[in-house]
This record gives sequence, structure tokens and C-alpha cells, in this order.
Amino acid sequence: MMRVSLAVRPRKKPTIPIEAETITPASFLEGAEIQVWRGNRELPLDEVFAVTIEGAADRPEDVEIVLSGDTSRMKRVGEYMDAGRIVIDGDIGMHCGNFMSGGVIEIGGNADGWLGREMQGGTIICRGNAADYCAAGYRGGRKGMTGGTVEIFGNAGDFAAENLAGGTVIIHGNAGDMAGVELHDGTLIIKGDCRRPCGNMSGGVCVIYGIAYDMLPTFRKMGTEIRDGREFLSFTGDIANRGKGNLIVKDCTYQD
Amino acid sequence: MSEILIKNAYVIDPISGVNGETMDIAIRDGRIVEDVGGGAEVIDARGALTLPGGIDSHTHICGTKVNFGRYMSPEDMRAGRTARHGYMHATSGYSVPTTYGNSYRYSRMGYTTLLEGAMAPLEARHTHEEFLYTPLQDTMANALFDGNWSILEAIRDGDTKRVAAIIGWFLTAVKGFAVKLTNPGGTEAWGWGKDVTCIHNPVPNFEVSPSEIITAVVKANEMLRLPHSVHLHCNNLGKPGNYTCTMGTLGLIPDLNKKRQTLYATHVQFHSYGGSGWSDFCSKSEPVANVVNMRPQIVIDMGQVMFGKTTTMTADGPMEFNLYRLHHDKWSNHDVELETGSGIIPVLYRRKNLVNAVMWAIGLELGLLVKDPWQCIMATDNPNGAPFVRYPEVIALLMSKKYRDEEFATVHPDTESRVPLPAIEREMDWYEIAVMTRAAQAKALGIVDIGKGHLGVGAEADVAIYPVRADEVDPAVDYRKVIEAFGKTEYTIKRGRVVSRRGECLVDGNNTTIWVKPKISEEYNMANDPDFIAKFDRYYTVRMSNYPVQDEYLKRNLCIETEAEL
Ligand SMILES: [Zn+2]
Repeated sequence: MMRVSLAVRPRKKPTIPIEAETITPASFLEGAEIQVWRGNRELPLDEVFAVTIEGAADRPEDVEIVLSGDTSRMKRVGEYMDAGRIVIDGDIGMHCGNFMSGGVIEIGGNADGWLGREMQGGTIICRGNAADYCAAGYRGGRKGMTGGTVEIFGNAGDFAAENLAGGTVIIHGNAGDMAGVELHDGTLIIKGDCRRPCGNMSGGVCVIYGIAYDMLPTFRKMGTEIRDGREFLSFTGDIANRGKGNLIVKDCTYQD
Repeated sequence: MSEILIKNAYVIDPISGVNGETMDIAIRDGRIVEDVGGGAEVIDARGALTLPGGIDSHTHICGTKVNFGRYMSPEDMRAGRTARHGYMHATSGYSVPTTYGNSYRYSRMGYTTLLEGAMAPLEARHTHEEFLYTPLQDTMANALFDGNWSILEAIRDGDTKRVAAIIGWFLTAVKGFAVKLTNPGGTEAWGWGKDVTCIHNPVPNFEVSPSEIITAVVKANEMLRLPHSVHLHCNNLGKPGNYTCTMGTLGLIPDLNKKRQTLYATHVQFHSYGGSGWSDFCSKSEPVANVVNMRPQIVIDMGQVMFGKTTTMTADGPMEFNLYRLHHDKWSNHDVELETGSGIIPVLYRRKNLVNAVMWAIGLELGLLVKDPWQCIMATDNPNGAPFVRYPEVIALLMSKKYRDEEFATVHPDTESRVPLPAIEREMDWYEIAVMTRAAQAKALGIVDIGKGHLGVGAEADVAIYPVRADEVDPAVDYRKVIEAFGKTEYTIKRGRVVSRRGECLVDGNNTTIWVKPKISEEYNMANDPDFIAKFDRYYTVRMSNYPVQDEYLKRNLCIETEAEL
């Protein structure tokens, strides 16, 4: 087992983002010098972090990376990661776990936008809140997340699981506006409330345990079903575009 | 004074009647001259194929439509990313790249002059602004007149002189180069939720038919003595069975001009479809090519489709809506007040899709079945049929039956029963390709006289030197070498400066925008016409005085003044 500790060094301008797509378990195996970008400058990793490595590994599965300190402006951590484990003590910046295909990312604090964008596999757990476009696709793209699991224990922002095409997204708190918009396949579970869910949904399943506010009128009510001993309403849609998705809500309201 | 001497060039220059001569080319201050002094910079071409700079006579690279394509397809910007380097700005995008992306990629392929195929007059400023950032090619724009209310009314009243006067006013006001009709009448009808399905259908509210619009505008174009002919995108684009409409349209055109064609019909591939629906969809390239062969007053461009991703964009709003109903993907439509409209959707042409495979074959068939290469221009209607970076492959397909057969073996198996392509043996030679990629464009656009498309003494020194020995390579066999050579020049020279060397652009560039100003008598000056002025006061969102594009939108520019018969 290899354990990599990355403790953020004090920064003069902590708001300048750091592009850190090189922070993945696999890159610590190769022994090559790891660089990150701060603004428009490329820097060696140990200029930004105090790096401590314990143990050794010859496969990414055996690498664990722990980030501590103010990581709220560190972007793209774990991008393309395929195995191993990244633990983030605090908050993490945008695009954490982009294109991830395996392994685990655990975030102790909040995640900024685009958490797990176009993720293909593996697991992301976020103990705090996730900002907009959590587990979503790229702007303009047709396919978002295609596999794996994203679990948010706090709230999610707008457009959660946009263009979801596979895998499972679980939000324990509330989600924002347009949750599950353009959902094609896979499962979105929201334990709290959300607004205008699943516009233009073509397939897949979305279950909302709270209230779906401003439900779109283009979902056809199919009946009721019992989940955890409670009665839910089951809809199909989005029929505006001949969609065959399944939207299941505990309660909903429509706009006047 | 700057001088260049290109030595040992294997020159093909169809307009000057040069077909494969090894010679030197002398350049002084941006022009081809007889000879230069001993101090000239010497470029040794080492027998490489040397052609006049490439000209694209129908492409979509600048303006509101192109930019909306960028706006609605941010995912396109994930491709084609290059970092800033030397004189080159950062670029991104594949089918709708940044302006610099377009300019650098065209330049590395040896292109020095581009015609933007469709500029909505009201939105001309955007086109001119983007021209400024397309620095390595001279640029010009077709202005759209397919649904112009003032023109439709003048046609209804049978007043062709008034049609000409209105066109003259708009061209001058928006600094356009030529007259474009896109689905004449159809896009205007689409503003009311309708379309026209045949050239004899009347356009709602105006009681004129597409055939009346086309014939009147063709006459008006010649009255204005414009360098280029009317540039027409026929009605019914993309519909099965539309070839009859296309042939009927081509049949309307008289021969009115000795120097060039009377009609340029663009992306004719999209207009050469047989069948009554998608199930019996088939190629009708043969009858369409036959009409072109019988009518020297017609020039067409291929509108070749290549397999892969791209973005379709046209002023033909109703056609794009039909395309949306096939694909169910994102789409946009746009109405341009009293003038025209547009639509955009991204598409993926698949070789295993029968319809797409037939479309691919039709473009090539037109190129090969039109006997005179001066009458059939190589183009993809960039990016509608394919992004222009695919041109080298199109050229190789025209030159090699072997390459066509290899590609044909990979397409939908039923294609064979729908198209004549496998039976066509013709293989184009280097000379014919030189015609179809620059000389025919220069002649068709009417810009030979300003020194475009040839290397004769006095011509603009726009030269492309390709890394291939045309006297040694057999393009029918070594088609890979053709693709490679046309993909990246050894040197691209623009107005006497080396602008691109082996794909690397070496200067900031400083292009010229070419536009026309017909000189019209006071009697026909629309600026004084109360009815015309009333259109602006009553309907347009801008006043007439604010409509013309100000001079500061054009930096370096060349105005071609014509003596209109008005
Ligand atoms: Zn076009």
C-alpha cells in the first residue's frame, strides 16, 4: 500500500484556481515528476502541497491519496482516475472525478460544480453539498454520466444528473432546479425536494422522496406504487418528446 | 519592395493555359511579375506541384449562423484544440471552429480566398467583424435576397429594374459581394409556418413563385453587371424526389453572360435525390449532370458529404426543421425580419446509414459526371456536407477509382442498388483538380480580372506549393500521397508573403475584403424612394440611416464598382 498525503501549503492568493488533473492514484506509481497549473503557471506538485509518501505500490488499486487544507479551488482532482482511492478532508473545487472509471473519491466537505462529470465507473461520496451540474454531462454533449455511483449526503445544486445515461446518483438532501433533465438511462434518487425534474427525459428512472415542485405538465400519471410503506405517484415521460422515462414522486405541485 | 523567386516549380495554372511546366515564378510587392532582381528571396520548389492559391467559392465561416453553430454546440470545441504558438493564436473546434481555426486550417491547405456563402444583410456587421479575424484569406460574402419584401413586391409588380436597384442598394450598404437566393420564397413562407414545395408554388402574401423570383433576380443581377452570377440554393433541399425541381430550376436560366455562367447552383448533391420517400431514396445525379452538361450557362458545386460529425447551417429554415424531425436532436431556427431566416442542427453522417451513403455517392457522381470541370466545383458546403479539412479526401476520391471502391466496400450494402457510382470509371487528373479547386472558382466568381485564381503576370501572388511530384506520383494508385499533399502545403504564399510553411502559419495576416458597388443612376437610387424608406420606418428594427455597414468594419478592402444598366 502507498499512502500519499498532500497538505496544501499556505497560499498568497488562495483564490487563484489550481488545475490538478495530475492528482490520480496512477500518476504516483510512475515516479515521474507531477506538475500542476496555478493560473497560467505550471508548478511542481511540492510547491503547492507538502507531499508525504509512505509505503510503495505497483498498481493504482493500492494507492490512497489524502488531500488536506484549503482545497476548495483545486480543480479536476481525480480526472480519468481508474482505481485506488482519493480522500479529501475539506471542500473540493470544480470537476472533481471527471471521466472517472474506477476507484473511490471521498469528499469530507462540499464539492464545487461538475462533480463526477461524464463519469463512467467507480464511486464518489460527498459528505457535504454538491454544487450545480453534479454527475452531469458536458455543455452541449448528449451523454453525461454512464456508470458508477455518486452519493451526496447534503444538497445538490441545479441540473443534478443532467443527461444521465447510466449508473446511480443518490442525493440525500434536496436537489435544485432541473434535476435529471435529459435523463436517458440509469437511476436518480433524491431523498428531499427538487424543482422541475426530468425535463425531456427519454428513459431511466428518477425517484423523488420529497416534493417535486413545478412538475412539468408533460408527464403522464400512470398510477401509484408503495415504497418504504408510503404511497408514491408514478409518471411516464417526457411525452413532449416521446420519452419513456419513469418519474416517481412522493408529492408534487404544478405551476398555476 | 519585397521580392520572391520560386524556382523549379511544377506549375499547373489552367487560366493561363499552363499544364505541368517546370518554371520559375517571380513575385514583387504582392504581384506576379516577369522577373526579379538578384536580391530576391529564393524558394526552391524542387519540382513540387505549384498551383494558384486555393479558392473556396461556397463556405460558411463567418457570421451569425456560424456563430450560432458554435454557441449551440459547445461540445464541438472539445476537438481541434491547439495552443498559442508563434504567430498562431489558440484555436478550437472541428465543424464550427474559431475564426483563427478556420483561417489557419485553410491556409495550411493552400487556400487564400474564401466566399462566405450566406450573409443575412441585416446581420452583415457580424460577418465583417469575423472576416477581420480570418486574416490569412481574402474574403467576400454572398448577401441573401431570397425573402426580401421589397424585392418580392417589385417582382410581383413586374419591375425588374426596381429589383436591380434594391439589390444594388443592399449590396452597397452591407458591403456584400454577390447575390444569394436560398430556397427562394421558402424561407419567407416559413416565417408564416409554411414552405414552398415546387418552383411554381406562390409565396404567401406576395403572390410570386420561386421561378419568378429566380428569373427576375438573374436578370437584375446582369443589369447590375456584377462580377458573380446569382448564387442559388434551390428549393426543396434534402427532400426525396427533389431532382425534378432542381432540373426545372436549371431549365429556367437563359445564357446572359459571355464571361461566366449565368447561374451558380450550390451544393447540388443535396438537390439530386430520387424516390418518393426515404424507403426508395436514390441518386438522380445522372439526369442532373446531364442538364448541366447541356447548359454551359450553369456552374454547380458538389456539396460533397463525408462520413463523420458536422454541423448543418443554412438560411433554409424550413429544411432544418425537417432535418430536426428526422434526428430529434438540438436545433435552432432564426427569422431575419424582412429578409430571410436560418436554421442550424448538428449531424452525424454514418457510412452504414443507407441515406447517408447515397448522399456521399451523389456528390462524387456529380463531380465525375459533369464533363467539364469548369462547371463543377469541389466543395462540401463547409461545414454542411463535411468540414473543409476533408477536402484532401474528396480530391483523392475524384482522382482514384481504387480509393472509391475501397470506400464503397465499407458503406451500407444496399447503396449499390441506389447509385451509379461503382460503374463510373473516370479518374480526374491534376489539371482537372486545379480547375475544380481554384481556377473554376475564380472564373465563376468573376475575380480573374482582379488577379485571382491564376499565376499570370499581374496576378495577385497567391501561390500554393504542395509536397508532391505530380509528374511522378500516380494519384489513381497512390491516393494516400494525394491526401497527404493537399492536407498541408510546403508553402502557402499570400499576396507575396509566405504565410504558411508545412502547416505553421508565419504571419499575423492582413486580408482584403472584396465587395461590390454598382453605380446606379439617381432615378433608381433607393435611398430616395418613399416606399423603400417606409419599409424601414414601418417594419425594420433599425432605421435606414443606421442600416449600412460603416467603413470602420472593413480594414483592408477592395471595392469593385460596376456600371449598372440603370
Ligand atoms: Zn451553403
